[in-house]
This record gives sequence, structure tokens and C-alpha cells, in this order.
Amino acid sequence: MSRIEPITGRYVNVDVNGEAHRIFYEEAGQGTPLICLHTAGADSRQWRHLLNDTDVTDRFRVLAFDLPYHGRSTPPDQWWLRKYQLTAQGYADVIRAFWQALDLVKPVVMGCSMGGAIVLKIAVDYQKELQGIVGLESAAFAPGRYNDFLHHPAIHGGELCASYTMGLCAPTTPESNKRENWWYYAQGGPGVYAGDVFFYSFDWDGRESIKTIDTQKCKVSLLTGEYDYSATPAMSEEVAASIKGSRYTLMKGMGHFPMVEDYPGLKRYLMPELQGMLA
Amino acid sequence: MAAFPDEAWFIDYQARVNQDKELSVIGTWFSTRFSITVDQARRVMVVEKGQITQVIMAPKFDSRPAFGFQAPMSIWAKFLTPNPPPLYNDFFAMLMRVPDFVLEGDGLVAMQNARALQRLMNLMRKEAA
Repeated sequence: MSRIEPITGRYVNVDVNGEAHRIFYEEAGQGTPLICLHTAGADSRQWRHLLNDTDVTDRFRVLAFDLPYHGRSTPPDQWWLRKYQLTAQGYADVIRAFWQALDLVKPVVMGCSMGGAIVLKIAVDYQKELQGIVGLESAAFAPGRYNDFLHHPAIHGGELCASYTMGLCAPTTPESNKRENWWYYAQGGPGVYAGDVFFYSFDWDGRESIKTIDTQKCKVSLLTGEYDYSATPAMSEEVAASIKGSRYTLMKGMGHFPMVEDYPGLKRYLMPELQGMLA
Repeated sequence: MAAFPDEAWFIDYQARVNQDKELSVIGTWFSTRFSITVDQARRVMVVEKGQITQVIMAPKFDSRPAFGFQAPMSIWAKFLTPNPPPLYNDFFAMLMRVPDFVLEGDGLVAMQNARALQRLMNLMRKEAA
């Protein structure tokens, strides 16, 4: 049976720190803006289940964009003359430029993995502009993920990155979902996952700054999968302990990619948090 | 019942790998030798195009594995349970978070074959077949 999904895809041209970017985003729904950030080396397709869920899109305008170099967002001009290495500031600047370009007022920003890390930074820097953040698999400090094999001339980077990240799924993850995420990872550009992990493993350390998040201004919800060995439950518990008024829930039987690994499983934990963002 | 790492267990494992539909698709270039070490016991797998053609149960110094995984039995036992606990569900997880699970030898060869190797390792759990 054929079915057209309610998701639309568009491009927005934005300047980020004087540099022109053409950014692809998917959108569905109406209501409070909910910006969704994909994981390192992946793209907005990871959010397709959420974008198709009317329980969410009846109340939220869901927008999932591809970070530059990812998915259908092209790298900026002269990209071939520099090594791709994401930084915390550069990442935050792109996200803010996106919500400003679309005139989004008081959005909720939800990110997973490195997206779950950067939502903490944007809550620190722009808490007055946000309704709240939802951190999936959030860590304030997460060294150890980088290795030189992620971008190596003797290794198929797509296959390695895809397999490396598939191990982050829970053993009970439906096989087809695990493989779907594998496919997205295998399509990443050369060195892009490694460049993202540079941010995650080396540049990002929010352990002190997150203590300044005021949850009276910007609500904070944290959800972490039991099987996540990159941003472990213990790491997310530390984040929660540093942010007074934040909410943290361990997601039993879930891994590092809940929105694509097991959306019905995530939804059980996510809906109360999204409801809380509207309260 | 065959117990890991006895010969009977490896015979079952070899059959499981060699009947695996996915490895028949992705294993074309997976030809190497690698070792599995459990405490003092060492085995060397000879892999040709994604098939285990031989398990050397008592390898000598001329067995020449390109790489290998080494860990105490307590760690392998967690990895081999049908529903392994967090941090023990995948060899990449253990390499990052379980210090006594060690990749020895040439990691480049292991990572060149990461996709097929991951499948082959997960087939150590018969439930993955």
C-alpha cells in the first residue's frame, strides 16, 4: 500500500560567522518549534519516526536539519582546503543560525549523542532564547571515542564508522532498525565522523559551564540508554547532578540511538518530557 | 554441551559461521588469521573469504595470526550470554570500556575487516545466527 509521509524537505541559506551555508532540513507538524539534532557522522533521517508521529507533530513543529558536511547539507566553499573538525562553538553557532533564519521563537532543542552534548552548551549560552532542551545520551565530557582508523586510506571509512557505531545499539534493538542506522553511517563523507568525534572527544568539556543553566528559564530533560557505552548512564547522571532542576531518566534496554533504534521504546520515555516542555 | 573454549564449541561455531547468510554476502575480502585467547588458552582461526576453514586449537609460534582478542574467561562469559550486560554486548564496547579485553597484533587488519569481523564475533553467541 502506498503512502506519502507528511514530512517535507527544504533548504535554507544561512550565514554562519560570515560563511555561507546551504542547509537541508526536514519538517512536520505545527506548534512549539522542536529542533532535532542528529548524531555524529549521521543526518536528519535518524528522526523519521518522530517526524511521522502525530502524537508529537500535533503539538510541535518538528525540524531536523543536516549539519554542514552531513546528509544533504553541502560543505562550505573551500572545504577541500581544510580538515573538517567540528568545534563546540562552531556547532552551537550553526544551530543558533538555523533557528534565527527560520524565525523560531523559544524552540525546544533536542539532540542525541554529540547533539546531546551540544544542547547543554546552547542551554548555557542561550537559555533565555529557549523553551528547553532534551538531551538524549548527554555527556558533559566524553573522551575516548576518537581513533585514527576512522579516517584512514587503507580502511573503508563508511563500513568502519557504521560498524563501530552499530555496537552502540542495545542487544534487543530490532535488527532492521540497527541496520537502518548502519546504512546512514555508511553514507557519511570521508573524515566527517572523525571530525565530529573530534568535537565530542577533545573539544567538548562542559563540566563547569553546565552548572550555570537555570532550569527556571530553560527546562532540561535527559534520557540515556542503558546500553550506551559512549555516553554512559553514569555520565548523564553526572550532568543531571550538575544542573539543578533537571530531569534524568535511564532508558532500560535502549542503546545510543534511541530515535532510530527503537522509537516506540523511546516514545514511552520522551512524551512526558515533551509534555513538560509545554507546561 | 560444548563449553567455550573447548574444541566441540569451536566446531559448532565454525559451522554457524560457515552457514551464515550475511557473511556469505559481506565476507568476500575477509581472509586472515586471528586469535581468541581465554586466560591461558589460545585458539587461532583461519578465515578464507568469510569462512572459517580451520581452527588451530593448540597454535605454535608459526600460526601467525594478524591480530587477536584476549580476555579472561569472566569477560568472555559476559559477552557470550544471550543478553549480554551493558559494556559487554559488542567487541567495540569492550575495547572502549573493558580494560582487560585487549586487541593484540595489527589493529589495522582488524579494522579493515570490521564489518565482517563484527558479524563473526557476534556469531559467537548462537542466538545471533
